[in-house]
Amino acid sequence: MTDILRSWIGSALPDWLIVLIAYLIVTTIVLFYAVGNFILMVWAERRVIARMQDRLGPNRVGPAGLLQPIADAVKMFTKEDIVPRSADRWVHLLAPVVSLAPVVMMLAVIPWGRGWEPIDLNVALLYVVAVSAVSGIGLMMAGWGSNNKFALLGAMRAVAQLVSYEIPAVTALLTVVVLAGGMSLLNLPYLQAGIPLMGATILCNDPVGCSPLLYTTLTSFPGSPNEPVQVLDLGLGWWVFTPVGLLGFVVFFIAALAEGERTPFDIPEADSEIVAGYMTEYSGMKFATFYIAQYILNFSLAALAATAFLGGWQGPGVAALANMGGPWVHVAAALSAFYLLAKIWILFFVMIWLRGAFPRLRVDQLMDFAWKLLLPLALVNIVSASLMVSITQWTSAQWSGLVNLDGFASWQRQLIAVIVTAIINISATYWILSINQRPKEEEWDEELVVAP
Amino acid sequence: MTTETETETTETQTTRGKVYVIDRGRPKLRAGQGLLTGLDVVFRHFRDALMRKLEKPSQQTGVFTVQYPEERLKLPEAFRNFPILLYDDETGHELCTSCFQCQRICPPQVIHMTQARDPATGKAVPAVAEFLIEYDACMSCGLCAEVCPFDAIKMDHEFELSTDVHGGLTINKVGLNRPISYYEKIAPTFWAEVKDGAMKKLQGNIKRRPDLIGVAPQMIDTIKAKRAEAATAQEPAPTARDSVPTDKADRLAAIRAKAAAKDAEAQPAPSDDSAPTDKAARLAAIRAANAARKAAAEGAPAPASDAPATHAAPAPDAPPAARSMPDDKAARLAAIRAANAARKAAAEGAPAPASDVPTAHAAPASDAPPAASSMPDDKAARLAAIRAANAAKKAAAQKQDGNDDK
Repeated sequence: MTDILRSWIGSALPDWLIVLIAYLIVTTIVLFYAVGNFILMVWAERRVIARMQDRLGPNRVGPAGLLQPIADAVKMFTKEDIVPRSADRWVHLLAPVVSLAPVVMMLAVIPWGRGWEPIDLNVALLYVVAVSAVSGIGLMMAGWGSNNKFALLGAMRAVAQLVSYEIPAVTALLTVVVLAGGMSLLNLPYLQAGIPLMGATILCNDPVGCSPLLYTTLTSFPGSPNEPVQVLDLGLGWWVFTPVGLLGFVVFFIAALAEGERTPFDIPEADSEIVAGYMTEYSGMKFATFYIAQYILNFSLAALAATAFLGGWQGPGVAALANMGGPWVHVAAALSAFYLLAKIWILFFVMIWLRGAFPRLRVDQLMDFAWKLLLPLALVNIVSASLMVSITQWTSAQWSGLVNLDGFASWQRQLIAVIVTAIINISATYWILSINQRPKEEEWDEELVVAP
Repeated sequence: MTTETETETTETQTTRGKVYVIDRGRPKLRAGQGLLTGLDVVFRHFRDALMRKLEKPSQQTGVFTVQYPEERLKLPEAFRNFPILLYDDETGHELCTSCFQCQRICPPQVIHMTQARDPATGKAVPAVAEFLIEYDACMSCGLCAEVCPFDAIKMDHEFELSTDVHGGLTINKVGLNRPISYYEKIAPTFWAEVKDGAMKKLQGNIKRRPDLIGVAPQMIDTIKAKRAEAATAQEPAPTARDSVPTDKADRLAAIRAKAAAKDAEAQPAPSDDSAPTDKAARLAAIRAANAARKAAAEGAPAPASDAPATHAAPAPDAPPAARSMPDDKAARLAAIRAANAARKAAAEGAPAPASDVPTAHAAPASDAPPAASSMPDDKAARLAAIRAANAAKKAAAQKQDGNDDK
């Protein structure tokens, strides 16, 4: 964006102003993108959950009820803003802002398309994890500032849940860090080029005749970091197709559900137990702010999950279009943006699907699930990811002679790595699931039971 | 996943309706399989809700929403909201006789009525003068409809009555009245069960109701128009005839008499009816002649013109009744009326001319006599009488033939 502005305006403005304007434009676009998706998500969630319950959902306002969010927004804007007399005014006012701001900040580092990333941050994953943790403070502020027992209970639950589930989520993301060898979100889609399971390991045998529609020149890929090679690239080398990525994705997605307070983890706002949790004392636009924060958090977590495990904007045709050069690069960017959006919406549909199917967990079940199931699985997955990287990339010198895989082609090494990690992950999952099973109820000998 | 076993539904018909038994199947679930089964069930509902509507209870999936203002469920016949009153489509008579049964049984006491009285005698008539139901306090129990011995009060299916006008929910007789055809439409089998009894009772009550008492207010105009129409159909354009020469009028009367005779013949009467018909016609003619003769002997020409005028007053009411009766009866009635008129004329002491005879006999609601009496023409009158007699004879003969043919 900065470059485009520079070429348009040239030297008419000082360079710092051009950069500032460019970033403002990018910010505006990203915010509109997110809020537009939020509006559609609210509509889609209501329509889809309605169909799952054999209903029709909102269909009166506008075509197919599409203007329903607008009607809701008008209602929210015109509602009275009530602050309880005993509430802490400023904390009460700031809480929605504090919970929304970090969520919006997460949008800055996600690559929305091929070459469409607002900021290239080389510690993007760390940034995302750190920033998303801040919104917990907003929830606690809301619960505490409302001076309401339900709000405080909800806030306690929310913070407990966020803190617990951040650990499996971050551990699952650590898998990605190990696989990518870095924390940049920007590189993740490029690294997930290739074909399912094998990734970008099928090399072009004939350097002259390989079609640019099928083969992409990669400067860095697992196995040979620096030499540019041509590899078979269908844009489907997503990590979710490998055992390591699959387990990491499942763990991260479940943790993301909990962080986004989606059913079955909507304990902080369990309306049948504690009214609306930390949002109990909020009305009008402040409530709407929490609502927006929640949906944009879901949106960005889905985007993060898609980028980290589902290839991000990677998909069939993107690389081919980009290889054709010229104006096709922009078409490739648009197609890649569409791929990412489609993945986000599929994940969002799964969230709605889970909401339609499962009841809410109890607090103790929630904690058990995080600490006894997800965390061990994520830890095992890190071991698998490390093995995967070492088997596919390490030379015998790096192994110190323990293992010598230098003679194998990269696709053979990938296959070996997949088999080894599959064995580890499947057996570990089975074991962890079985030790978590509820013990069988003891048989009571009824004759021995004596009434007190 | 247990997709197939879940859709199995057996449908059994019992005396109290259909019974659906859903076999959900309960296979042993492994760890986590329950979660997947749940997802599968929800997805099946999602998919089917996009594609179809739930039409019968044995289907377990599909949209069951009825988009109310546009789509409506068919209400069961026994559905009840607020009471309405029925009136007969044909005669416009209300079925209600103001027996006060509904007013007495009404638990919230929202039914009020006053009985109609004959304006002439002041006696109570089996009809209702005014009927009020306070819909806003009605509890829709339906006891009034159950207790009504005349099937006059029924429970309506109309339920969209919300309003911001509180007083607008006290409904009077005009507002409560519905034609029987309306009730027949909303509850066909219920009406078929009680129809015969109700209509029989109504016929009995109509006989005890003078004139228009007991006719639904919204039907009064229609009924009046009907009667007027019937009257004009029997004797068209009475005013036009004033300008017509007398003999012409008399001829017309004769023609009409012929037509009446033809009518009698056209009516598919049973074979033994044919004798009374021609007999009645002859009798009427004879009686009319006698009356006219009497009048001629006693009456003066001037008052004679008054006499038919006084007699004409009940005439507009008479035709419908006459029409509905068998023709011989009508002929008899006509003859009697003509005789009466002539007698009256005689009483006035007017020597009514013979020309009165066929006219009075032919048209009971006679406007012709004034014209006739103002210009006596014996010949024409006699001719008309002869013609009428001939026509009657002919009709009788033809009828006989017809019966023989049968």
